[in-house]
Amino acid sequence: MSDLVWSAIGVFNWVVLTYFVLLNGVYLATSLFAFGALRRYALRLRSLDLTDLITSAGAPPISLIAPAYNEEVTCVESVRSLLSIEYPDYEVLVVNDGSSDDTVARLTEAFQLEPASRIPTASLPTAEVKQVLRSRTQPSLWLIDKDNGGKADALNAGLNFCYTPVFCAMDADSILEPQALIRIVRPFLEDDSTVAAGGILRIANGCTVERGRVTEVRLPENLLAQFQVLEYLRVFLAGRMGWAALDATLIISGAFGIFRRSAVVRAGGYATDTVGEDMELIVRLHRVGMETGTPHRIHFVPDPVAWTECPESVRVLARQRDRWQRGLLQTLTKHRKMLLNPKYGRVGMLAFPYFFFLEMLGPVIELLGYVSFTITIVSGRADWYLVSAFLAVAVALGGVLSLSAVALEELSFRRYPRISDLLRLFGLAALENLGYRQANTWWRVQGTLSALRGKQSWGKMTRKGFDTQPETGD
Amino acid sequence: MPDFLARLSLTVGQAGLLILLVVIALLFIGTLILSGYALVMRSINQRREQRLAALSERWLEPVLAAVSDPSRVPEVQKLVDEGDAIRFLDFIIEYARRVRGAEKRVLRDLARPFLPHVLDRMEARGTEMRAWAIQVLGTLGLPQYEKQVVAALDDPSALVAMIAARALAREETPQYAPAVLARLERFGEWNRMFLASMLAAMGPEVSAELRAGYADESIAPGTRAVMAEALLRQGDFLAGDIAARVVRSDQHIDLLASSFRLLAAIGRPEHVDAVRPHCRSDDPVVRSQALRAMGPLGDPGDVPVLLEAMDDESPWPALYAARGVRDAGGRQTLESMVAEGDQRASLARQVLREVGGE
Repeated sequence: MSDLVWSAIGVFNWVVLTYFVLLNGVYLATSLFAFGALRRYALRLRSLDLTDLITSAGAPPISLIAPAYNEEVTCVESVRSLLSIEYPDYEVLVVNDGSSDDTVARLTEAFQLEPASRIPTASLPTAEVKQVLRSRTQPSLWLIDKDNGGKADALNAGLNFCYTPVFCAMDADSILEPQALIRIVRPFLEDDSTVAAGGILRIANGCTVERGRVTEVRLPENLLAQFQVLEYLRVFLAGRMGWAALDATLIISGAFGIFRRSAVVRAGGYATDTVGEDMELIVRLHRVGMETGTPHRIHFVPDPVAWTECPESVRVLARQRDRWQRGLLQTLTKHRKMLLNPKYGRVGMLAFPYFFFLEMLGPVIELLGYVSFTITIVSGRADWYLVSAFLAVAVALGGVLSLSAVALEELSFRRYPRISDLLRLFGLAALENLGYRQANTWWRVQGTLSALRGKQSWGKMTRKGFDTQPETGD
Repeated sequence: MPDFLARLSLTVGQAGLLILLVVIALLFIGTLILSGYALVMRSINQRREQRLAALSERWLEPVLAAVSDPSRVPEVQKLVDEGDAIRFLDFIIEYARRVRGAEKRVLRDLARPFLPHVLDRMEARGTEMRAWAIQVLGTLGLPQYEKQVVAALDDPSALVAMIAARALAREETPQYAPAVLARLERFGEWNRMFLASMLAAMGPEVSAELRAGYADESIAPGTRAVMAEALLRQGDFLAGDIAARVVRSDQHIDLLASSFRLLAAIGRPEHVDAVRPHCRSDDPVVRSQALRAMGPLGDPGDVPVLLEAMDDESPWPALYAARGVRDAGGRQTLESMVAEGDQRASLARQVLREVGGE
């Protein structure tokens, strides 16, 4: 190889090193912010009686909008869980997004749904709504049955039929904890400029579910699912909590977030031209708010929980990560005007650049880094022990970051009561850097390539359903 | 090669390796510390939970016995060690939040000797600690510590001030209403409906002050809107005339909207003249709320205006107009729309079904 190529590889190795230092520096910083923020949050909960706050009739009515597509396995259980939430005034709008299975039939049978009148209150464009049904036994349950148009389209349809000032966007296959709404609505009471708040997602695989409630929390048996438990702890408790402490939340998970209806409708609803409609909406809410000078706050609340089933097979997980990466890329390129633009405040100067350079471009840099490091070692142009030591640092640092997420969990919510589960999380923190992380990088690179090719599909997500205990009838 | 490396007889590569090894060692130590921290936290929290469970078991029955027989209060207080004072306060505050009258008085008596432990936390730098202290004093320490709780209304933290306001804004303590109302503008960031509920909880004894504030043009319109919503929650019939005056003279959208809601609930037919001009307002929020008020206040003569509004480009005014048609004596008109398959049939059907059903 020519000297020019070797020089290029040498320069690229420095790019990889810089990326490595920046990425882990940000992770460490958000973990530190999260430590302080979680401690303060725990103390704050001690000084506020949430139930008293909510039951004092000042809590805004909420519509839960749950898009459902081929959810026949889990939909009845999930809707039951939604109907048992502790909140004084809410209704449930399940939006059937043209399912080809028996989702509508199962729901109709279980909740005695019948045709009802409900005129739309907004006119966001969506696929055709075929019928609106309402439960005879649970008057707060509605089903909007529409042609298939994707998740964003289904959420927009729900939004068109939403009558409450605040709505909760979620997945129909998620299980909200009974106090989830009471806890997540708090920012809307404390700050009238709040337009959105996100809660935490936890993995339900391995947990016991009874009558739509998670009654026993355990780590899943499946190793892939175990890695995702650790990953979710890191993403939510260290990452999102840290960004929220900086008032620069750029993503609220589509599986559980609440929004001010008027703000979302004014912003044009969910974008249907991206598979990352959850992040795109948050970025757009920031953008519209900043450009129109409208006060807008976006919060992350760490204790309202939505339990979700995660993929246990490599194929399904790969598809999910591919989609997440495509959504990220589509969102960030669509709103690239915000990148390093001081007009957009901390979001434009901190969060957006982080997601753009480190989360969007990161997997490509990381993957090419593995290749260029290997070439450098094989060609004898670098001391193998030096590169090995660097890789050891990378693994150890990854472990420290994951362990800090486990420590945050112990500091705050301690949802895994068994000591054996805690010890397994320690082991996973070391193990995930030896294979799982690299696989993730590979799937995300594939996602980047899919986005560049213009791929738009969601990919099939196979659900096996929750580990449900039979009803005893008592 | 830099001099300092030469002095140490190291090459650049060796120096790099040395740095990496140090970093690995530090990370290894970090790993141990974090793992240890998590295990220690687990152990501490488990022990704390066990201790709290044991104390709760020890206190629960005597506290319940004291609530039914206040003479046993001193006996219960003796069960609490000095070091457990804060835990005891945390324990009884859970009950104190949910009871009133005589039962609450007993819980306050039980707490009294332990409350001085809370005072030094009111000086804490952390907002959350001060908020907790005010929560305890506001729930268990009134009226002895009213000076501290009222002073907390001016705390630099809006959270602490709000907790003080909520503690003071109770029906049984109307004497604090002026202090809370005077600071209402401090809570401008809080949700308006939440603030209105807090004010309404003070009961009818403060209605006159709320009316006076609502009518006072020198007060910020947003604050007056909160007072209007509080009067609405109290069902204060005397506020109708003020609401009619406000909608005739004011332009602030939130204030107008709250006033229309108030008129819809407690207005009288003579107020309808103040409402009518707003049914064609350019602002959809004002238009919807004016149409909402037209239903209960209007008469069959208003039905044509309401029918026209059912075609409003914005869905909310159309919905309120349809309800207005129904409530103003136009039920048959709506039934005809449904029967004839009018383009507004769905809307008509919906509001007809709402009666008694929603």
